[in-house]
Formats: sequence, C-alpha cells, structure tokens
Amino acid sequence: MSSSLIPPESLARVGEVLSEPVTVRIDRREAQRYAYAVGDVNPIYFDVDLAHAAGYRSLTVPPLFITHALVRPEPAQKLRPDGLYEDSTTVTLKVSRMMFGGEEWDFLEPVCVGDEITGTTRLADLDQKDGKKGPFVRLVRETTFTNQDGQIVARSRQIGIAR
Amino acid sequence: MSKYPTVSTVEVGDELPVMHKSASEAELFLYSAASFNPHRIHYDRAYANYEGHEDIVVHGPLQGSWLTQFITDWAGPEARLLSVEWQNRASAFVAEELEFSGVVTSIDRQSGSVELEIQERKHDGSLLMPAKATVRLAES
Repeated sequence: MSSSLIPPESLARVGEVLSEPVTVRIDRREAQRYAYAVGDVNPIYFDVDLAHAAGYRSLTVPPLFITHALVRPEPAQKLRPDGLYEDSTTVTLKVSRMMFGGEEWDFLEPVCVGDEITGTTRLADLDQKDGKKGPFVRLVRETTFTNQDGQIVARSRQIGIAR
Repeated sequence: MSKYPTVSTVEVGDELPVMHKSASEAELFLYSAASFNPHRIHYDRAYANYEGHEDIVVHGPLQGSWLTQFITDWAGPEARLLSVEWQNRASAFVAEELEFSGVVTSIDRQSGSVELEIQERKHDGSLLMPAKATVRLAES
C-alpha cells in the first residue's frame, strides 16, 4: 500500500456539510446570460409562452445553471495566485493538483425563474485509488438543491480527481 | 408530426444528430464570467502553460452544459431530462473542434423514459467525455 494521500483529519470529514446552505432566487437575466455563454439558446429559457406550452410554470433555465446561481459573491482579496478563491471548504490532501473529473446529476422537479433554490453541499466520498499513473484521490461533493416548497429539485455529485 | 422523438416513435439504436462545438477565447471568457469562475487556466495562456496545459483550457462544466444542450435539442421542449452523468477524461483547449454523438440504448415505453450513451470527441477521434443520460420523451 502506497503512503496515504488523505490525512486522517480529512477522512474524518466524510459526510460533513462543507458549506452552510445558500438560498438564491433564480434570476432570468443571470440564467439567460448563462444560456448565451453556453450557446444553448433553447426557446424555453427565453419565451415564456413557449415555456408554458412545454409544460413549465414559467421560463425554465439550463439544467446545470443552478450550480452557478448559487456561487457566493467573494471579495477580490480572497483570490489566490491561480485565480481561484481561498476556500475554507477545501479538503486538505497531500496532492499537487486537483482536476475536474465529471459530474452526476438527477433532476427531480423543474426549476423556473423566480424559484428560491437552496443548495447544501456535503463531502460525500473520499478515497484513494491506484491508477496507471500512480495513486490518486477521488473526492465527491454532493449538493442537494431544494425549492421554496421544500421539494428536492436536483442532486449533483461533482467528482474531483487529485494527485 | 413532431420534429422531436416521442415515446411511440423512438427506437433503440436511434442516433442523435451530431453536434459540433468550439469555443473561442472570448466565448471561454464569457463562460468564466457567467459562471463566476476566475480560474486563470481558462483565460491566461501563459498561466495555463505554467500549470502544464498546452493551451487555454475549456471548462469541464461548460462541456457539461454542451452535453445537456445536445440532449435537449434532440429531445425537444416537452421532454424532461431526468439524469445525466459524464466523466472528463482529458482536457479540451480553446478553438479545438469538438464533436458530440450519441445513441438510444434502451426504452421504457411505459414510463416514456429512454437511456442514451453519448461521447464527446476531439477532431482526432480521441475520447474527451463519455456520458450517459435518461430522458422522458413527450407522448406524442
């Protein structure tokens, strides 16, 4: 067994809420800006009549937008040299690099403009694996998104690969 | 007749229309802004090189949103995306020509949900992102 890349104090955090729940009202302009930035100009994000005709209460939003809607505003003083923010939710690992490994999403209820969405993120999983290029850590952050009626609208599992 | 697949018209083996994507520097910058992501590897070439990337890196979540667009453009506005998952196996870079392709792998005509297998590939055919999704199609 190679030496552990996961300090015991980090392993002990599995299951922990990584950041306090954030609640945000889904904003039409922000969602449309996101849709344009992706190049996904689906009419149900822009034309309320077409959204109604497709069975939505109001304009809906690109499926993955809710992650970005919930990003907390941060002061520029917290920017690190790599451009990312200093983040108290970072899980300490003995690695030099964290890469984006992918995501898994379940969509349970529609999300529409004006909804109040609350996101809560937990450290769902943390384990060390042996790959072709040596040991790496797989870190899973799970976010549960609920709406103003208390319904769970979506769940995301964001997978980070660190080595 | 609907231009979109329905529970009664869809067949296993149906292929989704191929979608091409490529992001310029300005488009990547716009995505950084819209997603409130200041990571330098997405707009600063010298810094991306310093971190060992051959060029400015396309955001993983941007490719995730391209993936959901690929699915919803095929399925149409009355369909509902139920789940999607993908793995980012390699990095995509600014201005690279990328191609999404996908196929229907199973159908549950009772519930109307279909499963898809999707790939995003580079111009040379190498696999960037394998993905799976479940969509509930419109009834007619």
